[in-house]
Amino acid sequence: MNLNLATIRSNSISKAGHWAGWDRYFCWTVLVWIAIVGSGFADQPVADRPASDLISRGQAIYSQQCQSCHGEGGRGQTDAYSDPLSGDSSLGELTEIIVDTMPEEDPEQCVGADAEAVAKYIYESFYSAAAQLRNRPPQQQLSRLTGGQVEQSLADLYQHFYEPPWRETKQGLNGAYFDAGRWDKDKLKLERVDPVLDFDFGRESPVEGVDAGEFYIHWSGSLLVEHSGRYEIVVHSTCSMKMRFGNHDNVLINNNVQSEGKTEFRRSLNLIGGRQYAVLIDFTQRKRKTEMPEAKFSLCWVPPGGTETVIPPENLLPSTLPSSYALQTKLPPDDRSYGYARGTSVDRQWNDAMTAAALDFGNAAAKELWPNYKRKHRKDSDENRGRLRSFLTEMAEVAFRQSLDPETKKLYIDDQLAAVDDDQLAIRRCTLMLIKSPRFLYPLIDEQASESHQVANRLALTLFDSLPSDRWLLEEIRKDKFRLDQKGAVQRIRSSAERMAGDPRLHGKVMQMFFEWLDINPALEITKDPEKYPGFDKLLTLDLRRSLEQTVSEIFWSPESDYRQLFQQDWNWTNQRLHKFYGAAWEPLEAGDSQSLQRSRSDKNVTFGVLTHPLVMSHLSYYETSSPIHRGVFLVRRVLGRTLRPPNEAFTPLNPELHPHLTTRQRVELQTGDAKCQVCHQKINPLGFALENYDAAGRFRSTEHEQPIDSSGGYVTRAGESVSFANTADLARFMAENDDAHRAFIERVFEHFVKQPLAAFGEEVGEKLVTQFRQSGFNMRQLIVEIAVVVATQPQPEETTHGST
Amino acid sequence: MDRREFLTRTGISAAAASLVMGLPSLALGSAGSSARRRRVVFVFSPNGVIPDHFWPDNVGKGYDLKRILAPLAEFQDQMLTMKGICNQIQGDGDGHMRGIGCLLTGIELFPGDIQGGSDTPAGWSMGISVDQHIKNRLQADAATQTRFGSLEFGVMVPDRADTWTRMSYAGANQPVAPISDPYQMFDRLYGQTKNRQMLASVLDGLSGDFKRVSKVLSKEDRRLLDLHLDLVRTVEKELKTELAAATKNDSASHAVPKLPPNIEEQNDNMPQITQMQTELLVNSFVADFARVASFQITNSVGQPRMRWLDINEGHHGLSHEPDSNEEAYEKLIQINTWYAEQVAHMARRMKETPDPSGHGSLLDNTTIVWTNELGKGNSHTRNDIPFVMVGGGLDFQFGQAYDFGKVSHNRLLMSLLEGMGMPESSFGNPDFCGDGALTGIMA
Repeated sequence: MNLNLATIRSNSISKAGHWAGWDRYFCWTVLVWIAIVGSGFADQPVADRPASDLISRGQAIYSQQCQSCHGEGGRGQTDAYSDPLSGDSSLGELTEIIVDTMPEEDPEQCVGADAEAVAKYIYESFYSAAAQLRNRPPQQQLSRLTGGQVEQSLADLYQHFYEPPWRETKQGLNGAYFDAGRWDKDKLKLERVDPVLDFDFGRESPVEGVDAGEFYIHWSGSLLVEHSGRYEIVVHSTCSMKMRFGNHDNVLINNNVQSEGKTEFRRSLNLIGGRQYAVLIDFTQRKRKTEMPEAKFSLCWVPPGGTETVIPPENLLPSTLPSSYALQTKLPPDDRSYGYARGTSVDRQWNDAMTAAALDFGNAAAKELWPNYKRKHRKDSDENRGRLRSFLTEMAEVAFRQSLDPETKKLYIDDQLAAVDDDQLAIRRCTLMLIKSPRFLYPLIDEQASESHQVANRLALTLFDSLPSDRWLLEEIRKDKFRLDQKGAVQRIRSSAERMAGDPRLHGKVMQMFFEWLDINPALEITKDPEKYPGFDKLLTLDLRRSLEQTVSEIFWSPESDYRQLFQQDWNWTNQRLHKFYGAAWEPLEAGDSQSLQRSRSDKNVTFGVLTHPLVMSHLSYYETSSPIHRGVFLVRRVLGRTLRPPNEAFTPLNPELHPHLTTRQRVELQTGDAKCQVCHQKINPLGFALENYDAAGRFRSTEHEQPIDSSGGYVTRAGESVSFANTADLARFMAENDDAHRAFIERVFEHFVKQPLAAFGEEVGEKLVTQFRQSGFNMRQLIVEIAVVVATQPQPEETTHGST
Repeated sequence: MDRREFLTRTGISAAAASLVMGLPSLALGSAGSSARRRRVVFVFSPNGVIPDHFWPDNVGKGYDLKRILAPLAEFQDQMLTMKGICNQIQGDGDGHMRGIGCLLTGIELFPGDIQGGSDTPAGWSMGISVDQHIKNRLQADAATQTRFGSLEFGVMVPDRADTWTRMSYAGANQPVAPISDPYQMFDRLYGQTKNRQMLASVLDGLSGDFKRVSKVLSKEDRRLLDLHLDLVRTVEKELKTELAAATKNDSASHAVPKLPPNIEEQNDNMPQITQMQTELLVNSFVADFARVASFQITNSVGQPRMRWLDINEGHHGLSHEPDSNEEAYEKLIQINTWYAEQVAHMARRMKETPDPSGHGSLLDNTTIVWTNELGKGNSHTRNDIPFVMVGGGLDFQFGQAYDFGKVSHNRLLMSLLEGMGMPESSFGNPDFCGDGALTGIMA
């Protein structure tokens, strides 16, 4: 097994559990099967280790009293109990559970020293995370590109032939207003940034000094997309209008002819999170003898799961970024059973979708990249189709992430050129092959690449889900700057990673990480009882989404990039609609334009970063009431990284109408009071209760059913320390400072960016990252840079398995 | 003489033939229905004609062909000319705009902001064009439905959407853009088939590379790649079977035409592009992709420079010259003669291509309607709009020249519908339809 071949063989079972949705049962059997495969650097088998008397006594008790249900080695898979016996309760907690509840038919049978012995055996042999690791160490596994990685890689392969994007922090589109019917620099009357495009000029002049009877406005800039998905671009225009999009020459909407009654234009597109698309709009009120229409223009969209709105300022950038490409083929979803997308399987549907994707890209290469390349290389010799050959070779070297050996070049380039005379056809053939090739689809089959190239491949894959395509990075590779045996190589790699970490492509991957961490599908609609929560509608939830995006984005991209701010920022991004619904804490600090989100005032008692953000709170709620259980499970699993197994059976929450005088907290206590439930709910409830000040819509409340809210709660750390919270403020402070939470965050970030289990890189890597994270003041951007450096500089193991059969 | 030829020559209908000859009707042609496939193509050329060298002096069956129409001589029995058809639609837009925008729609243009050299500005047409109307009718009936319904070919139509570049409308304010790039049209028609052929031809090389790549992998890692390679092999096998079956099956209707490579859309390539588009048109009729087409050579006010005829000026510029400019006059005759040659070439290709439905040649069942946005270039008149029809798709009496004096062209649009067997009480603006379809032309 080569460790440089990516992605995981097996995560520890205990970890796998906490990715599963609380309401869903988990397919343990499959995981166990995967986990058994392969070994590597395992300790000696359990049975051969010198066993203490306590453990052998425990083993004997286990086989007599427990094994019939829990299976051999705690594997489960019996009729009585199908789940494997593993988790992260401490040895003490485990003993207590056994004393109180086991064996199920007679809990008195195993108590005292027997319970201690069997707990010790279970804990040491297979229950604890350490035992799981010992038995089945996670490894990396060969993987293909995930769907998202294919989209990103093709976007960069395309972008390679233009310029790379850059991060733009200004908002809005640049507007140039001309006192003429067309571009005429002498007639330019005003240049300004328009935060959004939503104008009704009527029959008046749009700006001072411009004739109302004839004018031309050129808007330019880019559209920034936060999440991948299907977007509908909607333009309303009463005048002549043309909109170019993505590629600077690509006309998306052509309404060159203004014709009465034709004023709405809709285009549906697949766009990629973190990418920007150039937007160039020509809007012309033409002079005419006949009656002039009122001049109106608006640039709107329907984002995934949303409703039609004017495109907000934070999605518009005044700079026109270089031409870009978005794959329009829909790729099937990847396996996410470990909490992050993995390309560890291939099937027919995926294979066919990749063919369609290759044809889609081939079309763009023939129609857009090739003419552009020809223009740039007008002066090159074209003997024996030399220009086309160079173009295709350059494309292949970026796609394959290495330079081509003669045999590969012959197969992918020369043979394809020889097969057809038509240039466009040759490009399509060649790109079809390139993109269906294992050399493109399996990013870490790059042993023939130079070491510098391998390092860069890992940086690009980790940070951008993509491939090295920027000229500067390819230049570093060409100069062999990342050879690990050379002095200062690691520092050069880190500098490159830092440079890449300032790129918008990182932004997309980060935004996706935050939304996945917060368990919010951006396309998912959240609905609430309209009688109890009037005003909680699609437009409000779109504003909430914007507010949350801006919150995480601002914190992440601030110089400190401080993780703790995620729980401690005491103000929100807000607007009038949000203020009206959410009340005083959401009042904008100062009046701004009506489209941009504003800072709210600080409120140290109500606002705790993303923890209490209404999009998070309302998602972790029912239609009518809050859900301390969902909130508690979310905190236990996602924020603290602890393990919970699914409930014993599917429960329906008690109907609030049958208990009209109970608060939500009292109702939950009533339903989960049973000892068996308490095994988990003693961890879940006290965390969820600390958020009871936030109702089902995430609105702050002090009372429920005329009783004051009790938001006290508590938590027992992995180290066994009991902590109690008087209120949400205590909880937020705890989440910001707690070691369990830090480790869980690091692991989540690692697995999101690397798509491999952290444990597969060895315990010391995790420890090193924890230390660095603390020392950096919990700087998230720096954490990601360090992760990329760790992956890129991971020593390549001896090639022991080559050629084995 | 084979059965098909026999039936064509004796004119016995397929249904009757199967009775008379005791043949199972399915034995005729391919497995589908053997009903006649009626088709119509609208060919457009711009800027009016030189009437004295276009219109026959004599009407009726003994009509004569002047210089411009001389290339069509071989079809004289299968064609007709119609003089006296006038585009009387008023309203917004200059003569050229209304000339093309109302030509097949028979209705006014919306107010808008496209200003021509004279008159008021205008937008798009207020109604559907006759080709799209026919297409909708054919597509609504399972017996006449085809993959595309209609195809809109262009030759050197500028890459610019405006009233002068659009002839065909799917409805009010819905212009249909013609496809001027033969390779793009080819992709539309055969893209899927070609892509599958292309895929089939690269898979073998890919499989070989899979093996090379997996050599450096460990046994465990090779497992995923092997699975992947299996998929590639499966697809390869399926494609082989599929493509072999397609070749075996009725090769005529599945034949994919071969286009010459690397022809760019440039003025000087216009003759070649016209021929490529014609081949695609003929082939798509054979494959029954569509039964309606438009074939728009440039656009209203089109400016091709026919250097291959030693004419360096643009057509539209020349068309404004007074008749007294003898040189321009002569060039305009030559230009229009060239257009006639293109129509003749299209007709010839259809004549030599058997109709897969079993009823004679393509031309026997297809009418090419050649028209123009103006009667005459330098006067911008929309009276005596050129209408020349070749081929037997419509149920008209061919082999003669007609002169209707001065009638609204909406009546001709109604006649076209009648000739397709789908008469309507009006088409376009009803104010111009009161006298009904033209009389005396139906067979």
